[in-house]
Amino acid sequence: MGLSEKEECVLLDQKLLVFMDQLELLEEKRERLNSLIEQGWFSMSKARYSMGNKQVSALQYGSEMEPLVRVHTRTLESGEAEFQTKRRTLKSPEERQVEDIGPKDKEGVRRRVKTQEVPEIDQSDNKHPWTETEPAPSSKPEPNPQQDPLKWFGILVPQTLKQAQASFKQVVELSAEVATLQSAVLTTRQQLWTRQTRRTDEPG
Amino acid sequence: MAGRGKLIAVIGDEDTCTGFLLGGIGELNKNRKPNFLVVEKETSIAEIEETFKSFLTRNDIGIILINQFIAEMIRHAIDQHMESIPAVLEIPSKEHPYDASKDSILRRAKGMFSAEDFR
Repeated sequence: MGLSEKEECVLLDQKLLVFMDQLELLEEKRERLNSLIEQGWFSMSKARYSMGNKQVSALQYGSEMEPLVRVHTRTLESGEAEFQTKRRTLKSPEERQVEDIGPKDKEGVRRRVKTQEVPEIDQSDNKHPWTETEPAPSSKPEPNPQQDPLKWFGILVPQTLKQAQASFKQVVELSAEVATLQSAVLTTRQQLWTRQTRRTDEPG
Repeated sequence: MAGRGKLIAVIGDEDTCTGFLLGGIGELNKNRKPNFLVVEKETSIAEIEETFKSFLTRNDIGIILINQFIAEMIRHAIDQHMESIPAVLEIPSKEHPYDASKDSILRRAKGMFSAEDFR
């Protein structure tokens, strides 16, 4: 019914080899991850040198933020977890602005004020020169939580800051791979331990 | 893997948090707590541990990135975390390079071997 001693040993050896391969791959990815992080810091330091010490700091963080990248998770039957990142593409500034300042349907090039045909207007609207459906433009643009975080640090940022962002974007992608591998390593280790314990407990 | 997806949280020094926020992981709005903590010299260990535990209990966080030197301060809390989600990744900081021998995950994976396992 059960596996013979020899078959059990073969399975254990195979599992052990898988475990070693996973560990090796994990350490490779970790080295790459750490290297990219250091690269990002180096670029950030160079940006700070050209922009000023306080220009690249927590003081510049946006007051509202929305994540541009999320991680999708899945748990397998073995208990192992998989992680995969998905990045949202930002709308270009032109696309955003068309929605806000595009021409309205009933407007012409100019609006004539006809004194004889002035419609009945609610007194409270006298202060606003725009139509009822058109809201008064706000004097201050609201912060866009979906904006590129690079914009927190100014309109024209040095290339080094863009390089730092590129490095950290890669780090985020790699983090998901490392997390998946970590979970795989632990699951394989657990399976090895279970098999080894079962083998030791079985009589003969 | 359907749905909106989970967040990536960060507990790190200013440079680490700035870098990852540049990478686009940050969430901060009026109603919800941020998914990052900037650890400074004045930040207490209690606050770090409380933030870490709050990240663990949130069901919208998939990965927690933490500088290893900060992880050392709350090692007991990290060692107690056995679930696969959220995953905890220890990362280096500018002053403290990554040391694999201190990593909780690698210690769990490698440290349980004995000579008996290879017979």
